[in-house]
Amino acid sequence: MKNPPNFGLSLADQGIETPQQVASLFTTVRQMFDDAALQVSDESALADWRNAWLGRRTGVLTMIGDNWLKKAPASLRGDVGKQFNQLKLYVETKFEEHRQRIEPGAEEAVLTRERVDLSLPGVIHPIGSHHLISQVFQEIEDIFFSIGFSVVDGPEIETPYYNFEALNIPEFHPVRDDMDTFYIDLPKGAARPLLLRTHTSPMQIRTMEKQKPPVRVIVPGKVYRRDNPDATHSFMFHQVEGLAVDTDITFCDFTGTIEYFVKQFFGPSVKTRFRPSYFPFTEPSVEFDVSCIFCGGSGNAAGGGTCSKCKGAGWIELFGAGMVDPAVYGFVNYDAKKVSGFAFGMGIDRLAMLRYGIDDIQVFFQNDVRFLRQFP
Amino acid sequence: MKVVYNWLKDFVDVTAAPQELASRLALSGTNIGSVENGPHGVVMDAEVGSNRPDCLGHYGIAREVGAIHKLVLKPVSPKPAESKNKVSDAVKVEIQAPELCGRFTARVIRNVKIQPSPKWLKDRLEASGVASISNVVDISNYVMLELGHALHTFDYDKVRDHKIVVRAAKLKEKMRTLDGVEREFDPGICMISDGDASRAIGIGGIMGGAETEISFSTKNVLIECAWFDPVAIRRATRFLKLHTEASTRFGRGADPEMAELASRRCAELILQLAGGELLAGVVDVYPGKRAPKKIQVTRKELLRVMGADVPDKQIEASLSALGFAPVRVDHNRGAEGSLLAAWECAQPPWRAEVEREIDLIEEIARIYGLDKFPPRLPAARQGAARLPHHEAETRLRERLIGLGYCEIVTIPHVAEDRDALFRPANVSPARLANPLSEEASVLKSTGIVTMAAALEWNLNHGQRNARLFEIGRHYRLQGDKSVETPVLTIGGTGEAREKGLYDSPREFSFADLKGTLDALGELAAGRDARGLEWSNGGPEWLHAARRGKVQLGKGELGVAGQLARRVADRLKLRQDVFLAELELDPLCAAMQATKAAWRYQRLPRFPAVERDFSLLLAEGITFGEIKESISSLNIPEVVSIKAVDLFRGKNVPAGNYSLLVRVTFQSREVTLTDAQINHFAGKIISVLEHRHNAQRRAS
Repeated sequence: MKNPPNFGLSLADQGIETPQQVASLFTTVRQMFDDAALQVSDESALADWRNAWLGRRTGVLTMIGDNWLKKAPASLRGDVGKQFNQLKLYVETKFEEHRQRIEPGAEEAVLTRERVDLSLPGVIHPIGSHHLISQVFQEIEDIFFSIGFSVVDGPEIETPYYNFEALNIPEFHPVRDDMDTFYIDLPKGAARPLLLRTHTSPMQIRTMEKQKPPVRVIVPGKVYRRDNPDATHSFMFHQVEGLAVDTDITFCDFTGTIEYFVKQFFGPSVKTRFRPSYFPFTEPSVEFDVSCIFCGGSGNAAGGGTCSKCKGAGWIELFGAGMVDPAVYGFVNYDAKKVSGFAFGMGIDRLAMLRYGIDDIQVFFQNDVRFLRQFP
Repeated sequence: MKVVYNWLKDFVDVTAAPQELASRLALSGTNIGSVENGPHGVVMDAEVGSNRPDCLGHYGIAREVGAIHKLVLKPVSPKPAESKNKVSDAVKVEIQAPELCGRFTARVIRNVKIQPSPKWLKDRLEASGVASISNVVDISNYVMLELGHALHTFDYDKVRDHKIVVRAAKLKEKMRTLDGVEREFDPGICMISDGDASRAIGIGGIMGGAETEISFSTKNVLIECAWFDPVAIRRATRFLKLHTEASTRFGRGADPEMAELASRRCAELILQLAGGELLAGVVDVYPGKRAPKKIQVTRKELLRVMGADVPDKQIEASLSALGFAPVRVDHNRGAEGSLLAAWECAQPPWRAEVEREIDLIEEIARIYGLDKFPPRLPAARQGAARLPHHEAETRLRERLIGLGYCEIVTIPHVAEDRDALFRPANVSPARLANPLSEEASVLKSTGIVTMAAALEWNLNHGQRNARLFEIGRHYRLQGDKSVETPVLTIGGTGEAREKGLYDSPREFSFADLKGTLDALGELAAGRDARGLEWSNGGPEWLHAARRGKVQLGKGELGVAGQLARRVADRLKLRQDVFLAELELDPLCAAMQATKAAWRYQRLPRFPAVERDFSLLLAEGITFGEIKESISSLNIPEVVSIKAVDLFRGKNVPAGNYSLLVRVTFQSREVTLTDAQINHFAGKIISVLEHRHNAQRRAS
């Protein structure tokens, strides 16, 4: 037999020049490894054996890599590489087999020591949260945007003209009694009074003043009514106004739009109901109900008795709406004979309270982080 | 209004069970709040809209029931027995203010016996929530609840000269009303006076006076049944802050024709329950008689508004039942379902609010059933647009939330002293003329006011770590005009990093706030935009050493810093609080411009090399100045200049501080050699030594 392989010399220095010689050389090396393996009987021998073959600096495999493979002529490098990889895999596999034979439970011990405790938290990044009102606004905006409604906004401090008169609510109209209004304290001689809008409806007028039909807009925003605060009343709350005006908008388009919204927002099984009502700026006017989302419209509570949310009615009143009253078109120079449309105004706080089971409107505006973080 | 189910049966033979009736009424426009089976049978609580005064009586509700269930409405035609003596000899009526009072009728009954009411009458009143007083007073209430028209009864003998004069109130005129309150009036209010008109004995359509009230000693009764102008009544109730059953009915617009009928019905019941002699006829002064209005409704318009048809028969039946007496007037009369069909209707006097075709369409639709109009989605017609800054705002919001801030929503009403703490000089706040309380009397002139309050709430509720932001507005006045400015307000307090398994705790500091704002500013920084720039200064309510002004481009964007101790003490905030407010519109506009200018920059192919410069600097020299000096060398290979360590104290001489500056060099063309880097470093050291007297520390 030839000289035993020398791991410190390059192949050329050992006179190895052909693939056959390479193959034979590696076979010899493997034989040496197997022979050494036979000598391994305890943990310390295993460590020595491992060091001799897999040691990082002077292990056989490292030396073969450095001296044989890296210095191999290009013509042989493919063969050497292939042989080297096979050898490496063989050595590692065999070593693992022996290790498991010699160190029963060794692997378990390592795993037990290193295994992550999945019940511990990871590194916590304190991420903030969207306010629930914003989330509901966004959701409503997205639903209407998907059917062609643009979003507009406008001033919260309004003139009586936009808040009342142009919406067909002259002074001393009975509905003004239902909308107790905050007025701004203005310097003497002010051109006109200013108030805090009691609804988002002034934007109907502002929008129609600015653009000709077709109009499809929604208006999210804050509104104000001078009510004493309690669990269901806040003198500031939020609305989304909707307005669609065109040459061919009918009551059917109106109910269809509202139904689409409700099914998107509350789910496809929710039923809708329109009751005739009265608002000065819509005609026909409706109040709009959805089947109670808590009792499924049955009026019965799950545990027996009547549903506390709809008080047994099976319906929950959501908001007022209707076809735009022709009188309103007169204020914005639209031809009431040629165009028609619908408008609605929904209370967002109430929607959010309904959907998330919130029983006190004030929590929205206290901004306790424990509340804010409940709805990230 | 309480509707007594059995009372309805006086006028329509309704067979539907109360619950079903309630549901049908609700779906045709008379919402029923509740249906209760009480000691006097079923009572429904009807929520009558302000446009339907006719439904403020059982007769009006019965008319609705008749229309829904196609039942005949029984006529009301009382025929009380009259004596030979004429009422016109017993009482005189004069209306001096026809603009306030359109009709006044008077009847007189002599020798009545005032006594308690019989049980049936008491029961119906009790079911309606009205207290029983005596037969005559009860009857006037009963007729009001039955026919929806308010009446008033006087003690005839207490009316001076047996003469009624209806006139406007005199300026500052006073009278004591039935409820015992002395009230003062103004000339827009209609007064009922007696004799020479000098004494007021009632407020027309609102409440009677105390002096002519019916008592148990009353012998002779004068029945007033009149009609008052609704706008004048609403004005008066607001002026007097006095709302009564009568003012509700007149204020919404009563039926002038009903006045005489209700009076007659009242007389009939008084004769029945209190006896006496009804004088013949009625004194009826009626200056406000209206000619009946004609209104047309066409199928074409019905279809245009409602989008689906209603059969002729249904249209005619509904309108007839409601009293509109429809008559086909088109040329296709007889052709059922004609597209040209038109009906002429007469406005019934109890429906003054029905004046236009659209009003009739609403009547047809609500009786027919709104659920019969099939829902559909309208065509979109045009692209939809978000708010102009929607995307920028969304990115700001998401970034802040990622940085750990919770979004808040606040009520802008604040206390004057709170607003004054943070209000910039020369700013006029928007104060409320009629606040609910002192605590909520001004609209915040900066978002800081409510942000501080939100932090305060959290600290007072055991939440000492809070990072909050609000996208809102502040409100100011400029002369007599209001200005609402969108602002982003940020607040932070407590621990920026809480103690955890892997981290030690760290308090929120100015650097956290600045880092947050710069993370937002990055969205507005680009090749041509420098993003947020900071300068010394800021409002007095911020800590003088830890505050700054924030600029974007040429404009001031806002301020940021630690709340001054003085203000924090005032708000009882026992820990450091950091606040910032930025104007939103310029920031969003800059973000959009930046994004529009985004262009890809090819990644460098050659390695970057870092060099650290450990400098000893005199206090007062800023990192910004160091950076500026290095930049002034115009070495294109310098791609970043960072402060990576800052140290004061041990081994640093007093009046100095140590700053470790890391400069990164990179070329787009070649791999930089040590010689090149050394050359650059030499230039940097030289400029820093020269300009800032910086000493190098061994590192």
